[in-house]
This record gives sequence, C-alpha cells and structure tokens, in this order.
Amino acid sequence: MIARILFALCLPSVATTALAHKPSDSYLTLRIDETTIDGQWDIALRDLDAVLDLDGNADGRIDWGELRRRFAEIDAYAQSHLALSLAGASCPLSIADHEVDRHSDGGYVVLILHAACPSRVDALAVDYSLLFDIDAQHRGLLKLESGSGSVASAVFSASSRRQSLAPAELSAFRQFRAYVADGIQHIAAGFDHLLFLVALLLPSVLVRNGRRWVPVTSFPRALRSVAGTVTAFTAAHSVTLSLATLSIVSLPSRLVESLIALSVLLTAVDNIWPILPRRRWQVAFAFGLLHGFGFASVLMDLKLPPSSLALSLFGFNVGVEIGQLVLVLVLVPLVYLVRDTRTYPRAGLTFASLFIALLSSGWLIERGLDVRFLPF
Amino acid sequence: MRVSLLVCGFGTLLALVAGSAIAAPYRPQADSEVLETLPAGPASDRAARALRALTVRDPGNLDLALRLAELQIARARGTSDPRELGRAQATLAPWWNEADPPVPVLVLRATIEQSNHVFGAARTDLERAVAAEPKNAQAWLTLATVQQVTGDLRGAGESCRHVAETAIALVATTCRASIDGVSGNAAQAYDALDDALIRSSSELRKGETSLRVWATTLQAEIAERLARPDDAERLYRASRVLDPNDAYTTAAYADFLLDAGRDAEVLNLIARDTPVDTLLLRRVQAAARSGSADAASSADDLGQRFAALRARGDRVHLREEARYTLEILKASDAALDLALDNWRVQKEPLDARIVLEAAIAARRPQAAGEVLAWMEATGLEGGKLRELARKAQMP
Repeated sequence: MIARILFALCLPSVATTALAHKPSDSYLTLRIDETTIDGQWDIALRDLDAVLDLDGNADGRIDWGELRRRFAEIDAYAQSHLALSLAGASCPLSIADHEVDRHSDGGYVVLILHAACPSRVDALAVDYSLLFDIDAQHRGLLKLESGSGSVASAVFSASSRRQSLAPAELSAFRQFRAYVADGIQHIAAGFDHLLFLVALLLPSVLVRNGRRWVPVTSFPRALRSVAGTVTAFTAAHSVTLSLATLSIVSLPSRLVESLIALSVLLTAVDNIWPILPRRRWQVAFAFGLLHGFGFASVLMDLKLPPSSLALSLFGFNVGVEIGQLVLVLVLVPLVYLVRDTRTYPRAGLTFASLFIALLSSGWLIERGLDVRFLPF
Repeated sequence: MRVSLLVCGFGTLLALVAGSAIAAPYRPQADSEVLETLPAGPASDRAARALRALTVRDPGNLDLALRLAELQIARARGTSDPRELGRAQATLAPWWNEADPPVPVLVLRATIEQSNHVFGAARTDLERAVAAEPKNAQAWLTLATVQQVTGDLRGAGESCRHVAETAIALVATTCRASIDGVSGNAAQAYDALDDALIRSSSELRKGETSLRVWATTLQAEIAERLARPDDAERLYRASRVLDPNDAYTTAAYADFLLDAGRDAEVLNLIARDTPVDTLLLRRVQAAARSGSADAASSADDLGQRFAALRARGDRVHLREEARYTLEILKASDAALDLALDNWRVQKEPLDARIVLEAAIAARRPQAAGEVLAWMEATGLEGGKLRELARKAQMP
C-alpha cells in the first residue's frame, strides 16, 4: 500500500507543472529551389541518445567526438524517418554535412539536407515519423521557404505524420492578407488615429463663413472635401511609414506619440477656434506625416523579413486605408444628414471637438510625461 | 482584445526572430567539446533503458509497460523533464487509445493527461478508475488533485474523504488541507497539518521525504495566506532542507520572497541557468526588479522558451507566460488575455492572482469579475489577493 501511495506523491508536483523547458521537438527547415530542396534538420541530442545511446563512455555527457563517431547511424536513423515526395514521385534525401547548435532546451545536431526531385517542386508531401515510437509528445516543426522568401509552416505529431504543402501559392498572397489584417487591426485599435480623422472630418459637411460654420449645399461638395482630406492624409502617412520602415528616417517613439496627441488636440481645437490653415487637406497632409511614423513603429516591431518588406509594407498600408475608409463611410453620411439641423454646427461639432480635445490633452500629458491615467 | 492579440503576435515574432538570430549552427573544433549533459542519474537511466529494451521485445506485456511508464513518470518529476512524460505515453501506446484500458493504465494515462493540462480527459479516466476500484487511494488522490486544480473544491473534498479511508494519516490530512487552505478554512488546515506532521514523524521512513515536503510546503503556503510570514519562512526553509531540489517548493518560496521585496535572495535561490521554466520566471522577475546585470538576457531566454512552446502548440505555461507578459513585456492587455485563458483551465490561488493583477494593470477590472465571484464563493484567504480584489472592485 505504502509503495502505491508513495508513487501517488509525485502527483501534486507534476500537476503544478514545475517542468523544465519543453517536450521534445525537432526543427526542419526546407528551402525549395526549382527541382532541388536544401535544408537543415535540428534534432535534440537527448532524443537521439534515447534511441542510439550516444553517450559512449557513460559519463552523462555527449561530446563532439562521441557524436562524430556515430554519424552513419544517425544519418540512417534520420533518413528512415523523413520522406519528401511530389505527386507520388520521391525526392531522395541525402545528408551533406553535420553541425551542432543550441536551442532553448539544449544541444542539437544539425543535419544539412539535400534532396533532388524528379521535377519542379510545386506541391510537396512530407512524411515525418521521427521519435514518435519512443515519445508520443514529440513534434516536428517544419518551416518551408522558397526562392521568393515565402514561408509555410507545419507541425508534425504522432497523429499527423503527413503534410502536403504547396509553396507556389503559399503565397505571397496569404502573407499579404495577414499584413492587411494587421493594418486594419492597428487602425481599429488606434483611438488616436481614429479620433484625429473624426476631428478632421466632422466639419467636412460645413464651410467656414467668417467665424461661423454653415452647412454645405450638396453631397458632392462634401464628398470632394472629404476625398481631398483623406487622400492628403493617406499620401502623407504612406510617405513617412515607408521612410521609417525602410529605416531611412527614425524618430524617438515617445516624441512621435506625443506629437500625434498634439495633432489631435490642435485639429479638435481648430474646429472651435480656427488656429490652423483654412485648407483642411494641408492640415491632413502635415499631420499625416506624423501619424505615418506612429504606424511605422508598429510595423517595425514585426521585424519584417527583408525579402518581403515591400509587400508587407504595402499590405499594412492597405489595411490602414481599409480601416479609414470604413470610418469615412460611417461618419460622413451621418454628419451630412444632420448638417442642416440647428444643433449640429453649434452644439454637435463643438461638443464632439471639445471631447476629443480633452481626451487628446490627456494623451499628450500621459505621453509627454510618461505617466498613465486614461483607460485607453 | 485586438490590441493584445497583436502584441502577442509581435511578441512571438520578436522572440522567434531573436531566437533565430542566436541560433547559428557550427562545427566544434575539438572532440572533447561537450554538447549536452544528460539530466538523469546513470542508475535510473540504465533501468529505463533495460526496461525499454524488454518492452520493445514484448510490446504487449502490460506489466513491463506499467513498470517502465511509472519509472518514466518518476523521472519526469525527478529531472523536471517533460520529455519523460511523452516517453511514458509512448510506452503505454498499445493501450493509450483504448476506451476502457486496465485500471493502472487509466491512472497513469490520467497522470500524463493532467500534466498536459488535459484535465477533462484525466478526470474521466480517474472517475472510471475509482468506479472500478473504489479502494484505489492513488486514483482518488490524483482525482482530488485534478478537481482542486480545476476549481471543483467540493468534488476534491469528496475524493479526499476516500483517500482517508485507505491511505496513511498524513496523506489524508494533506489532501484535505490543500482544499481547506483555499476555501476559507486556512487556519484549521494549518493546525491539522501541524498535528499530522508531528504525529507522523515517527511513522514515516526515510524514503518518504517527498510526502513531508508536500505537506510542509503546503503548510507554508497556508501560513502565507494567514498573514504569518515568520511561520511561512520557517516552513519553506524546513521543506527545502528536506529536498533542496523540489521545484514546486522553490517556486513557492521565491514567490514569497518576491512579495516581501527580497529580490536579492531570489537571485541567490535560483541559478541563472535553471532548466525549470517556472523557476526562471521568478529569477527573471527578481532580476528585473533589482536591476540585476543579467535581467535582459534571462528575460530573453525565458521569452524564447515560451516562443518555443507556442511553436509546438503547447498551452501548459499560460500562467507563467501571463506573469512574464505582464511584468517583463509590460503588455497588460495581452497578459490579461493569457491569464483569462489560463483561468478557464486552472483555478488555483496563483491563477486568480495573475488575472487580478493583469486586469488592474490593463484597466479592465470588469474582466476579473469571474475571479472575484469565485473568491467570494470559495472564501479564499490571503492578504495579497484580498488587496488586489479590493483594487479591482474600486470604481
């Protein structure tokens, strides 16, 4: 009885996962170039040791000499657990060289792979069965690269040992879509950019007559003003977004963020007491330059691969534009409809602008002084 | 939500990029260059290899497979190496997918499942095991653990009652105290452990230190909840004298020291190169708070470990990752999402705490509503938790 109970004592600690590192993984990277595939396969020495008993002198350590003497067996073992094929025709795999590397959980042997396929590689099937017989939690993490730098990834597990991948379509398109989504997310979550646009667009259905606002006479006129404003903003932030992402210009982010807050504040105040140039598109352009730097700090955090920098930059920008457009489509018809009421130019515009001005002064203080008190 | 997902994505990407920047394969110069140190002692390793050789020859032999799987699970605990759990699962492969395997397989399968945080399946297996063998104390105790971790305190209490029928007194008391300690009866649990530890000191043999460690650490945690820091300190130290390598105790003691602002002691307690993620997290927190020289590099290491776990699709470190995301990455929204994901699975005091901390930092106290309600319902004690709960409830 005691023996059984003793074993049970392992349980509380196992349950609270005081576990080291991670379970077993191997890292397989394959680069496709026309009909050949080159790659590397990182396999944990601890895992190979469990299968092949690498620790020849049983001193609890695996050294390079012990590893080197066993290359033939390691190669045979690895090759019998990985198969590449296209449409049923196999791509024979050879191991060109051996190196070593460290991952977060220890030492790995790095097998330098080469495979020659009978035809151009467009859809690759990978059969992977390494270690599953001794470790049911083992995973094979595959990264697939092709000439254009596009990347697909797949995870092999005991219950998912075969993956078919089509590098041709994987496309720049999918990556592009991901960056568009990032762009949309950023604008949707970036209250400062959104409120700046709102402050800019609120008076787009009005024209200044001296110190007073009067409603525009027709929708096309309002639309022209909106189009001008939005285009100027877009053009300006695209320029600085590109310059900053390509590391041609860089500004400290706290300064940029503070200036963005200031731009929102000035634009909102201008709706109440004119202080900025009369032409809205000029304001939009000037401040748009600033906002572009703000977008760039997000994009740069993504550490884009140089090969697809242009694509991702463009995708992110498209996403930002889509987000903006949605705002315009919702806001402009709405304010156009209420422009004639007595309250809009006086109360609606003033109160909304006042609110935006207050909020942005809050941001300005937060960002300028590096404190935090607003909920967003 | 969107922002935090984005931040999470960036974090992953950054960590992956950082990881790949460090990873540069090379060719060692000398045969004597050591590439890897194997974790377990040679004796248990030889035993495991011998047993595995036997099971390979006789794959359907249940008795052999159970002995090997038990050894592998014990090694997972001894070395903190999750690989051994995957190996134990592979050892049980012939029975793993059976709906109704023999009871010992059910219990081992549940043990592995719960360490992978597949608590639902673990519970089903254990309920089946105790239905078949109502006197199986090990199954009841494992079931109590699963129930407690997932917040079913009433069920856990019931299971502990069954443990008490068959196991020695200290096991039964510790089982019960681990539930009382988080359900408003901490003082009672503390006294019960005191009694049981004193009374059992003659009854326990030398090899049974792990039981004393379990009980003593639990008592220390309860002392903390009762605002008795001197007792907590004494008990943590006593537990660490019994087994200096127990990762659970070390982590709990490190948390105690962190709360007391004794960061330098945490840096002494946990080595820079600890292989255990839960411990590295505490060291990273202490290093960051005290501005120690290795703060940035240890934080990077830990970030890479989380990224590596995410890459393989693991979700077992959410609690630790939430703490890391909140305190080190300072991304409170992302931390809150992780903490809430974790709360869906685990409901221990540490899980409640990280939700509260992240919700307060992210200024989304309403997100902690479920945790507050749970604290109310269970009567969970603890000064730190109560203070956080008050903050989260402030308008």
